[in-house]
Amino acid sequence: MITILLIVHGLLAVALLGAITHQALSVASATVGRDRKSFFARFRNVNGPAYASPIVVMFVLTAVLGGLLYPAYRIDVRVLLEDTNSRSANGIFEIKEHLVAVGLGALPAYWLSWRTPLAPESASTRRYLTWILAFFVWWAFLVGHVLNNFKGLLPH
Amino acid sequence: MKIFSLLFGAIYYFCVWQIDWALFYYYPETNKWYLTAHPDDGAAILWYGWLATAALISIPIALVVPRRIADRLWNDLSWVVAVGAIAAIFFHESRWFV
Repeated sequence: MITILLIVHGLLAVALLGAITHQALSVASATVGRDRKSFFARFRNVNGPAYASPIVVMFVLTAVLGGLLYPAYRIDVRVLLEDTNSRSANGIFEIKEHLVAVGLGALPAYWLSWRTPLAPESASTRRYLTWILAFFVWWAFLVGHVLNNFKGLLPH
Repeated sequence: MKIFSLLFGAIYYFCVWQIDWALFYYYPETNKWYLTAHPDDGAAILWYGWLATAALISIPIALVVPRRIADRLWNDLSWVVAVGAIAAIFFHESRWFV
């Protein structure tokens, strides 16, 4: 059951990562990727508002699944980290849980800023909250990935 | 919604690092939930309790604050609070890397 949960959590995280990265680049400066034919320009040329609600749903679902996996992490992985004196690995996870918590709290303001018609006075809020959430998602994804594979990363 | 976002991050920060208040404690080794700490049950997960505390305080306040006041608040405050929370998180958790 834990393995299935972990796989679903990972798949949701991949989808969230893709969606938030597209959206985060869509609000980047217009001077970035000006060549409309480039891969980068096409990557950022998405309908940002259409991504907001799915991102909120995926963020919450991924966090809930992460919360369900947390006890198994605490018993199996955290003990290994402590036994191998891997303080940094412990630290990056602690940061992950706090960033996800702050991200959950920021979701309503983020969603509000992306409501259509887009309010010009919310442009900076929209941009920075999207970048902040993208940073949270990238951090959580990479940390989760590293810790999931931690045993294999230890020197033999 | 704006008020909730502003409060949640700030209250979460205070619950975690200033007053150390989790609404409840979960002990995965014994699969038990308590309102107070029970060290005999092993290491507790406080994260659920911190989230619950932050939500429990910020939701009612967000519901009570009139919309005209919320609308008058500086829009950028929500991301400024989030950046402040990030700075606080990295500052407090730097203890793991020294």
